[in-house]
Amino acid sequence: MYHKNKSVSAALRSFLGRMGILFLLMFVFGSTSTAHAAGQGASTDDVKQRIAPLGRVAIEGQKFIEVEPIVSAEDTVEPMAAPRPSRLDYPNIGVSSRAVVWILAQMHLFFGALVLAVPLFVLVIELMGVKTGDERYDAMAYEFMKISLTGFSITAIFGGSLALALFVLYPDFMAYMMHVFGAQWLVYAGIFFLESFFLYTYYYGWNAMRYGNLKWLHLTLGLLLNGAGMTIMVLSNSWATFMMAPSGVNEVGVVIGDIWEVMKGPLWNPINLHRFIANIAFGGAVVGAYAAFKFLSTRDPVKRAHYDWMGYTSNFIAILAFLPLPFAGYWLMAEIYAYSQQMGITAMGGILAWLFIVQAVLIGTILLAGNFYLWSGMSRTEGSVRYQPLIKYIALVLVVCFLIWVTPHTLILSASEIAELGGSHHHILGPLGIMPAKNIAVNLMLVVTFLSFQIYRRSDKVATVSWVKAGNALLVAIYMVAIVNIVFLGVYYGYFTNTVYKVGSSVAQVTSTLLVIITGIVIDSLMYKNAKTLPSHWGRIPDRSQYALFALPIAFTWLMGLMGYVRSSVKTHWHVYTVMKDNSPDNFIPTIGYAGNMITIVTVLFLLFVLFMFWVANLGATTQPKPVIAGEGGVG
Amino acid sequence: MGNTKLSGMGGMLVISVIAFIIALIAFYGLNHLVMGVQGLPLNLDLSPAG
Amino acid sequence: MTDLSEKDLDTHGTQEDGGRGESSTNVLGKILGFSLGLTLIFTLVTSLLPQVEGEAPVEKKVDLAALTMDDFVAMGEELFNNKGTCTLCHKPAPLGRAPDIAGMDMLATSAKRLADERYKGEVKDAEGYIRESMVDPSKYVVATWGKKGSNDTESPMPAVDKAPIQLSDMEMDAVIAYLQSKDGGEVTVKLPSPEAAAEITAAPAPAGTVAAPAANAEEALVKYACSACHSMTNKDVLVGPGLLGVGVRLSANEIRQSIIDPNAVITEGFQPAMPADFADKMTVKELEMIVKFLVEKKQ
Repeated sequence: MYHKNKSVSAALRSFLGRMGILFLLMFVFGSTSTAHAAGQGASTDDVKQRIAPLGRVAIEGQKFIEVEPIVSAEDTVEPMAAPRPSRLDYPNIGVSSRAVVWILAQMHLFFGALVLAVPLFVLVIELMGVKTGDERYDAMAYEFMKISLTGFSITAIFGGSLALALFVLYPDFMAYMMHVFGAQWLVYAGIFFLESFFLYTYYYGWNAMRYGNLKWLHLTLGLLLNGAGMTIMVLSNSWATFMMAPSGVNEVGVVIGDIWEVMKGPLWNPINLHRFIANIAFGGAVVGAYAAFKFLSTRDPVKRAHYDWMGYTSNFIAILAFLPLPFAGYWLMAEIYAYSQQMGITAMGGILAWLFIVQAVLIGTILLAGNFYLWSGMSRTEGSVRYQPLIKYIALVLVVCFLIWVTPHTLILSASEIAELGGSHHHILGPLGIMPAKNIAVNLMLVVTFLSFQIYRRSDKVATVSWVKAGNALLVAIYMVAIVNIVFLGVYYGYFTNTVYKVGSSVAQVTSTLLVIITGIVIDSLMYKNAKTLPSHWGRIPDRSQYALFALPIAFTWLMGLMGYVRSSVKTHWHVYTVMKDNSPDNFIPTIGYAGNMITIVTVLFLLFVLFMFWVANLGATTQPKPVIAGEGGVG
Repeated sequence: MGNTKLSGMGGMLVISVIAFIIALIAFYGLNHLVMGVQGLPLNLDLSPAG
Repeated sequence: MTDLSEKDLDTHGTQEDGGRGESSTNVLGKILGFSLGLTLIFTLVTSLLPQVEGEAPVEKKVDLAALTMDDFVAMGEELFNNKGTCTLCHKPAPLGRAPDIAGMDMLATSAKRLADERYKGEVKDAEGYIRESMVDPSKYVVATWGKKGSNDTESPMPAVDKAPIQLSDMEMDAVIAYLQSKDGGEVTVKLPSPEAAAEITAAPAPAGTVAAPAANAEEALVKYACSACHSMTNKDVLVGPGLLGVGVRLSANEIRQSIIDPNAVITEGFQPAMPADFADKMTVKELEMIVKFLVEKKQ
């Protein structure tokens, strides 16, 4: 009881204290920033002096003895080093602090991803409208903006709630982060003003700056909006990557580098790229769901045609951005291994490794839904009959690869578990459960998904160039050799050579996949340059195909939640890996079942908020009919 | 047309074979290149040379 | 074209009011059902997988007075499998990323590796080899397991006495004991003595209880009890040499080394008696104050 009281009052005190900091942050802009910078500069010099190498000590005839800077426990009482809070320093609010932060952070990230991505492809679509002179592009771009506009406020609301929750629930950790990033927080806040300015001028100025030079001004605003958005993203990414792989601080967390060195940790750029691409895929998937909903809820053929086209474009964006995502993920994982082999193995080989089976289920769902939608969409065009027979083979490859991919890989947790299982992996499923088999499966799935995509793109066109036969023969050859090569690389180096070659061959596998995608795009874009276009009928697509457009965002949302859980958990019991220990009651990695429940909660919450966002967007286009006065009758 | 069809068939075969050879060379080269870049040289028969 | 359809939407809405609304609600119900169903499938998958929690290492109190060698070996095995995170990499082929320690005879292997010409360390026995491999893994890298591109000269293994693993000396001893006993060998590490225990509990204690850093050189000399063995006022020998005029005899670097690593060079005629752990105890500032103080002691 005593403890509880104490922690409540401590929470209150720290809450008030942190609120003070927050208000300072918000209002005392210039003065604090300069004062802070000055203070930091002075103390940094002090630190440099204090931890400077002691010089090299050598005895005649012997080698130099490298003397490491010695940092002892005493240093931690100074505010410069990372705090070492004890369990009682974490306020106890009766529910899991981690769960609260988890939900708020995830909601903020979902909406943040959405509103960063939408302006990006809106700008591209708007540009296409200008280039082609087709007004439909412009209208669709505007509609994408319209439906995601509320998302910006929702992002900010969750961001603010997240910051408050962190300050209240993790005061020491946040104090340290504020200290390390210092004035960067103010830059971050400042860019929000820019972002809002560009957002509102871009959106509300859409029709005012519709043609001619003004249109280019409008496009510039869009570019600046995206620039501000990207800056915000990479700044906030640096906090997450600092927590995973701190840089610019010494081993007890004393800041020894400038802010750039702190930000530019080994994982920063891999995360930047990965999130950038994933955001686009995620944003495309969410607006696709909007189109699908509108498509299903009307019988008007004109509107069905419009929303079918909008859904198709969204799906196109989502899948196109999704295809390179595994490669960005591969780079991120490789950098994690390079930073800390232990961290990499915690993710891929420790208890977290089970969740890559869930990841396989999710990505499998995404690929199957994306392919299914493309196949259904082939009913729009008359030229698709030529390619229909291929679909069953693609479906077969997808399903077989999917099954190989989700085959559990028996992961070793402890020696006793090995004994229990009677061996390191299952006798029959074993060979399919280890990485090379999964690499083959994933790469083949990507290759055939691209094939689906390619035949869909071809289905409404007839090539007129003279080298059609040669081009097609080359394409068929590339597909076949690539598939053989991917299988060969996986089987030969994966099972018959050593680990180094096994790992190296997976790079060759993804390059093979990339080569297929690149040559496919190049050959088709040359071959269909002046192609004859067959009539295609937007809106002529079965209703059930639209469910693929709902499966995509649900799977994407869930997948993001899941990967966020991994990304955050690889730090194990550290707030800032190797620098600041997490001593809170939640410093363990939760079970995958618990994580699954949390992810479902945030996914459902996100779904509800997205519905609200769409509803608000449509509210603006609705006018209430004038009430009819009794007896008068007439028009509404 | 019959004539062209026949030669078309034969021509298609030649084109296909050439296409396969090009693809094989491309991927064979790709394997050497990608593995070599990573410091994992291969022998001519693609077995590890390290 | 779209403008046209927007107009359609409005007339549609007002004229066929009921029909559209209902269909919209139906659609909403269907897609919500579909979405929730899909979400639940994913949740179900996670609940079917093994439920393991990744516990953070908990600091345990060990009663060293009652500790037997069997307990110590068991403690080492526990550390090997859990806190030490050794089994993340050291596991059987084809999953391992490092030699399968549990599956091989460490005693015979240690002897073989010490005899290998590629061995770069200084130790001579299995105990030393295992300890060295833990704190400085690159001293001997088993062929094929080195960092990529290093030609087996650099080990990818983290030093286990550093963050994030941070095994204490006693814990490393326990792991050595486990690895020695596992293959039926003789355990050569000593059980931690109760005195050592006092030191262990004192060392990682919370920052607040650690003695405050000394403010000047005199305080530092008192704090580390230097004058218990070294006379500061004359050249008489107490336990160690008197330090009057040491600044003439030794340079700042040599003095610094004598404190950090006292056994590297021992003044002729003395036994190696000086504590070797000042490097762990002193702050940099304290060390530098002492060095400066002694350098200036020219007479």
